[in-house]
Amino acid sequence: MKKLARPLPLLALLLSAGALFAHHGNSAYNETARVPIKGTVTEFVWVNPHSQIYLDVKDSSGKVVNWGIETNSPGILTRAGWTRHALKAGDKVTIIMCPAKNGQPVGYAGSGDPGTKVVFDDGRELLFTDKTK
Amino acid sequence: MRIHSFSPLALILLMVSGANAQAPSKGASQPAPHRDLSGVWAMQPGGETSADDKQSPGGAIPSMTAWAKARFDLEKPGYGKRAAPGGNDPILQCDPMGFPRILYFPTPFEFAQVSNRVLQIFERDNVVRQIWTDGRALPNDPDPLWYGYSAGKRVDDTTFVVDSTGYDDRTWLGAAGFPHSEAMRVEERYQRVDRDTINFTLKINDPQAYTKTWIALPRVFKLRPRAEIRQGYCVYSEESAFTRRIREPGALKTGTAPKN
Repeated sequence: MKKLARPLPLLALLLSAGALFAHHGNSAYNETARVPIKGTVTEFVWVNPHSQIYLDVKDSSGKVVNWGIETNSPGILTRAGWTRHALKAGDKVTIIMCPAKNGQPVGYAGSGDPGTKVVFDDGRELLFTDKTK
Repeated sequence: MRIHSFSPLALILLMVSGANAQAPSKGASQPAPHRDLSGVWAMQPGGETSADDKQSPGGAIPSMTAWAKARFDLEKPGYGKRAAPGGNDPILQCDPMGFPRILYFPTPFEFAQVSNRVLQIFERDNVVRQIWTDGRALPNDPDPLWYGYSAGKRVDDTTFVVDSTGYDDRTWLGAAGFPHSEAMRVEERYQRVDRDTINFTLKINDPQAYTKTWIALPRVFKLRPRAEIRQGYCVYSEESAFTRRIREPGALKTGTAPKN
C-alpha cells in the first residue's frame, strides 16, 4: 500500500498568516503584516533587552535606505539557537518583519510575532522559536 | 489480494492518526512534586486583549482614583496606544522595572528555595526577589522598595501564596503607564498542577489608586528544564541608543505604512 504523505499541519498554515497570534503588543508596528525586506547587514547589535539588526535595503527607486529591525534579548535569542555571531556586516539576508505603521524604516522581527524570521541568501534561516521547550 | 477503498473523510482521519502516531511523544504530564516550585519558568502568552496589556496584569482594569488619573495623564509610554517620542517610562532609562511588571516581561525566571526564603530570580536585570517563608508578617511601615517586601506560605502541598507591600511608586503597572501607590498590596497564588505547569493568579489592592481590586488575567507558567537564566541587565547607554535609532522613529506620527 502506498505510504500516505504527512499532511501539512493546519497550525503551521495559520502561523504563516501571522495575523491571529500577534501578541508582541507594540502598536508602533503593524503586527498583522509580514513584510519581506532584502538587503545587506550593516550591524548586528546584541544587547538587552532589544537586540537590533541594521541593514541597507535598496528601495524601488534604487536608493539605499538603512533599516533598523528590533528583535529579542540575547537570552531569548540564545534559547532560539542564535549566538552573537549569528549575523555580521556583509551578510545578505531577507528579513520577514512587521513594519512600523508610520512608514519609517524600522520594524520588528522576533518571538512575539510568529512568522517573522531571517533568511540568508543561501537558504539558511534564523528563527525565534524557543528550542528549550 | 483484498483491496480496501476509503471515503475521503476516512482518508483524512487515517492521515491525522498516522501523523500523530509518527509525532514524537511528549509523554503524559508528571505529577507535581510536593512543596517545591524549583526550576525555570516561562509565562505562556494568551488572553491579552489590548495594547495596554503589554507587561501588565491585564484583565478588567478598575477605575482609577483622581490621584491615579492625574499620574496616568502625565505618563508618556514608549509603547502602546499612547506611545510618542520623548517617552518617560522609567525603564527607558533602565530604572528598575518593579513588581509585578517584571513578572509579565517576556523573559523567564527561576524559583530557588532556601531554608527561610523562596528566591525568584528574573532574567530581566538579574533581579533576585526575596519571598520570606519564615512566618513573618509584613511590616506596618515598610521602606518603599523597587520590588516590594514579600512573605509567602504554602496553603497545601502544591499551592504557594505570596503577600507583598511596600512598593516604590515610581514603577509602572505595565508599559501603558498605569500607576500604583507605595501602599499597594499584591497577592499572588502559584498552584503547581503538574510537574510542568503552574496556574497563576494575582490580585492588586490599592485604594489610593484604584476604586476596586484589580484582578489580573489568570496566567500559566511552563517549566523549562533545559533553559538557563542569563544576565539580562538593562544598560542605559545601550537602551538610549535603541530609543534614538528605532523606538523614537517608530513612534513618530508621520508617513504611511508600507504595504505587504
